[in-house]
This record gives sequence, structure tokens and C-alpha cells, in this order.
Amino acid sequence: MAETMAESYNRESEPTTRTLLRRVLDTADTRTPRRRRSARVSAQKALLETPSSRRLSSPTKMNVRRRSHRARSIGRLAHVHTSGNLEEQTPRTLLKNILLTAPESSIMMPESVVKPVPTPQVVQSSRRESSRGSLELQLPELEPPTTLALGLLAPGRRKQRLRLSVFQQGMDQGLPLSQEPRGNASASSLTSSLNLTFATPLQPQSVQRPGLARRPPTRRAVDVGAFLQDLRDTSLALASPGDSLRTPVATLQMDTVLEDTQPFSQPLVGRSPSVYHSLPCTEAEDAERAVSHRTQSSGPRLQNHNPRKPAQLLAAKAKKVDALAVSFPNNSSAISGEDGVEPLQDGVGEEAEERMEEGLSVSKVMDTTGTQGSVRTEKSKGYREMTEAVEAKEPEGSSGDEDISGRTASTELASSTTEFLQARRPQFLEPAPPPSTAVLSSEPLEPLSTRLPPRARTPGPRPRQDPHKTGLSHYVKLFSFYSKMPMEKAALEMVEKCLDKYFQHLCDDLEVFAAHAGRKTVRPEDLELLMRRQGLVNDQVSLHVLVERHLPLEYRQLLIPCAFSGNSVFPAQ
Amino acid sequence: MAFSTTVSQRKHIKRKAPRGFLKRVFKRQKPHLRLETSGDLLVHLNCLLFVHRLAEESRMNAFESKCGVIKKEHVQAAAKVILKKSRG
Repeated sequence: MAETMAESYNRESEPTTRTLLRRVLDTADTRTPRRRRSARVSAQKALLETPSSRRLSSPTKMNVRRRSHRARSIGRLAHVHTSGNLEEQTPRTLLKNILLTAPESSIMMPESVVKPVPTPQVVQSSRRESSRGSLELQLPELEPPTTLALGLLAPGRRKQRLRLSVFQQGMDQGLPLSQEPRGNASASSLTSSLNLTFATPLQPQSVQRPGLARRPPTRRAVDVGAFLQDLRDTSLALASPGDSLRTPVATLQMDTVLEDTQPFSQPLVGRSPSVYHSLPCTEAEDAERAVSHRTQSSGPRLQNHNPRKPAQLLAAKAKKVDALAVSFPNNSSAISGEDGVEPLQDGVGEEAEERMEEGLSVSKVMDTTGTQGSVRTEKSKGYREMTEAVEAKEPEGSSGDEDISGRTASTELASSTTEFLQARRPQFLEPAPPPSTAVLSSEPLEPLSTRLPPRARTPGPRPRQDPHKTGLSHYVKLFSFYSKMPMEKAALEMVEKCLDKYFQHLCDDLEVFAAHAGRKTVRPEDLELLMRRQGLVNDQVSLHVLVERHLPLEYRQLLIPCAFSGNSVFPAQ
Repeated sequence: MAFSTTVSQRKHIKRKAPRGFLKRVFKRQKPHLRLETSGDLLVHLNCLLFVHRLAEESRMNAFESKCGVIKKEHVQAAAKVILKKSRG
């Protein structure tokens, strides 16, 4: 463990909460009988991490696939053990204690203290998808707090001190770290046409998120379900063969990426929203954490109503674990990422529940509420992020679905979506695009095409009618002027109808006259003839007289020929 | 009665002709024909006279029915006469 951990976290080389937890884990493993699992986990982690590194160097599907399969096989073996162990674990209670005690210490702390536990679990959940040994992964991480619990407050305070420094460091380093994943994403987008592994890895996360979010309220679940279904349909239709292979790979990569940036992002989430916003990549991870928090928060609420009996809870956990064990083989058998999503969601839910139960059983409601408050603050921030992210996406055309899913699923979705959507959309919308171009170009274009037309439509018909109405209204006003009487509005409408009829007749007559004269142009003579037939022009009253009588001077000049200086007649005849 | 249902007589009107509107109407009715320059002005004049006659007629109808307000029926009755008169 220690070696692998050291390898993985050499880059960070800073005393972050993560590293501390890891150390604790290492120590805990020696004490506890579950050591094996931790070793396995480490092996899995090594597997997980190595492929990612390899990918960077030489991204080929085959490697990744093999790794993922291996991980799965290991995971299956591990499952059996986990179910039995869950009940036995006292260290969990210790964890709960830590969770409870941490918030009390300081306002700032509770978030940080609470967070570290959920975050690794979230990571695990993501791993579960990739490798079905996820259950095992939970245990080792649960253990570390047990060791901490022995020290309880003292280590927590230590952490606090560290965290301020760490937090600052994270602030500084968060930027470079955040850029790393970006680089991956960009590279994936660029090379995605050839390397599906790159483009896709982002997708599974998005899939995961809704799964995480699905837990809390029902309405969320509905939206997310629809969203997921759409995703499945599209993904299935577009790339049926590729999907199965892609999803595990993607999950793997995500895990590695998350691990890299996690320690830094945590402090950012709680304390510095500004920095937070500046780091889009870390946001995704933050989002995951937020999800975990939510699940936690939601869990306690639900459970608050229930009578807390640790024994029952444990039993429930065991059942859930069994269910997980059942679900996982399904996943392994049906490798397609979509199948995996639901079981994964279940697993996530279970994790959340377990946490909740642990926390509740050991702790008091007050503590949980306090943590909830902190969580809520985080959530609000997350929402802000969401909104921002949504705004950013809107040009891309991410319509209500994303908004809903984002809110329902979690802030994380939205935050993460910026990256993920880029990876996703090209796939959904354009089945066989060269993703590199598609990622950047297609997103903005599609929304424009889809969104603008409806906007254009609404104004479209109106102007068409309006000018006609206004033109008619001009004559309606003339009518009310000539009538020299007040009149009903209905009468005005009637006048409009009459005018319509009149124009229709007029045009027909003019057409007939022009046709009779063998012309396709309606000339003033035709109009004069028309007026003569209407009785307006007769021998006493000529057209010019009418013009002079009824039309303003400027029109008269145009209609009545008049001699101008230079021996010219203006409307030439 | 009011105010909402009745429209008082207009004291001022624009004498400007809606030439664009007239051309558009003609073009929409007879897209294969073209209206010579200033033809729309004559159409406007004709329409003006038509509206004038219609207003006079409906006003007379209103007077005949001893009504201070021109009602829809009055206009309808006037339109029957005037549209027949203004047939080409």
C-alpha cells in the first residue's frame, strides 16, 4: 500500500488530508485482519493508475480493457468477504465519531473533516463501476478513520492546522492540477477520433453523477432517469460496439484524474468559491464530493425520522451489500456501461446510506444537522457553479435536460458538465464525427441552429400580419375620420373586413383591365377606368380633380403632370 | 357605454399614403402583375374614396336608425351597398 500510495502521491508531495488518511490506512491495515483487501485495493489502484499513465503515453484501448477486466475479477473475489465484514466493523463507529466530533471543533473544520471520508468513498464508487471490487475499497477507507478515532480530536486539530497550509498550497497548486485533466480532455478531444478511450472517459462520470444524485428526492430521480435513458439510447444507437469497451476505460481514467486533484479541491470547495470557480477541472471533483455530501445530508434527514437502531442498520447494510454483490456480477457479465450505471447507483446509494447510518447511530441528530448546514453551504456554492456552468453550456445547447439533471443530480454535474458535455455531445449528436473538431465546433453550432429558429419563428408571423393590420388600420382611421361619429369597435372590425374584400375586388378588377389591354402592368389608365366604372370619375369630375381634392400636395405632384422649368413635364406622359 | 366599446371620432389623420402596404397587398394578390409607378397612389386615392363613401353610407344608416353611434350593422349594411357600387 504505502509504496503504491507513495508512488501515486509523490507528485503532490504535500501533507494533504489524503496523504494523512492513507498513512492511517497503512497503519490500520497492520492491525486489522482485513489487510488482504487493502493489499488488493492497492493492487487495484496500481492497476487503475498505471493504465491512465500508459494512456497518456500511448493510448490504446486494448491495454485499458485488460486492466479493467482484471480489476473486475479481483473485485468479484473481494465481494464475498465484504458482506460478512460490514457487520463486524467497529471502526466504522469510530469513523462516525470523527465525523461527529469534527464539526464541533470549528466552523471551518467540519466541512474539511467530514469531507475526507466521503471523498474517498466517492472515488471508490467511481471505481466500482470500473472494477466490481468496490465494496472492498470501502472498507479500507472506513478503517482509517478508526485509527483516527482513537486519537479523535487531536488528529482532527492537527488536520486543521495542516489544512490551512494545505489549503493555501492547494490554492496555488490547484490551478496547475486543474490544468492537467484539462490537458487530458483536450488531448482526448483532439485525438478522440482515433482514441475512443480519451473522449469517452469523461462520459462515464457524467453517467455516474446522475446515479449519485438519484438517491435523494424522487423528482430528481425521474429527470435523471429520463436523461440517462436518452443517453443510453443515443449511445447505443451511435456506438453499440464501442460503448461496452469505453465505459470501463473512462471510469478508470476518471478515477486517476480525480485522485490526482482531490486533495486540493476539497479545501477549495468549502472555503474559496472564487478560486473554485477559476478551477473548472477541480469543480468536477468538487461536484463529486458535493454529491457525496448531499447523499449524506439527504440520508440523515430521511433517517432522522426513523428510529435509529444500529443493529437494524447493520442488517440493512448487509442486505444491501448482498444486493450489490448480485448487481455486480451483472455488470461484469454485461459490460456495457449503461447496465453498470444502475447497479453503480445502487452501490453509491448504499454507501451513502451506510455513512448515514453510521453517523446517525453513533452521533446525535444535532451533529448531523450541523454537518448538513455546512453541506448546504457547499451546496449553495455548488448551485452557483451549476448556474454558471449552465449558462456556459446554454450556448452549447444544453437545454432543460441538463439543467434539471444538473440540479437533480448535483452541482457536480453542472460543474463537471463543461468538460463532460464536450465529450458527450459530439457523440450523441453527431454519431460519427471526428470528435476533435466536433467537440469544439459542433456544440456551439447545434444550439444556435436549434435555439434560434424558435425565436425567429415567433416574431416571424407577427410582422407579417402587423403591417397588413397597420395598413388597414390607416384606412380604418380614415373611416372613423370621415364618419364624423363615434363608432363601435366591432364596427371598426367590420370596416377592416370590408377593406379586405375591397382590396380583393380591386386587384381582381385591375388584373382584368390589364389583361384586357394585353398588359401585365397595371397602369394609371386602368385605375382611371376603374374609378370611372365605380362612378367616382365622370365627365364633371376628372381624376385630376379627385387627386387635387383628396391627396396631399406631394402626391399630387407625382400624379398630375406639370410643366417645370427647362420645358420639362414631370410625370412624363 | 361606453368608453371601451365605442371609439370616438378622429380629429386628426395622417394624409400620408401607406404606399408600401398598398404595393405589398397588390403583390400578394397578383404576384404576376406589376403596378406602375404611382399606381399605388391611385389605388390609395381609390381606397380613400371607397372609405369615404363607406363612412358616409354607414353614417347615414346610423342616422336612419336614430343611433348616435355607428354600429356594426350599419357598417355591414353600408358595405353591401358600397362594395356593389365599387365593383369594377
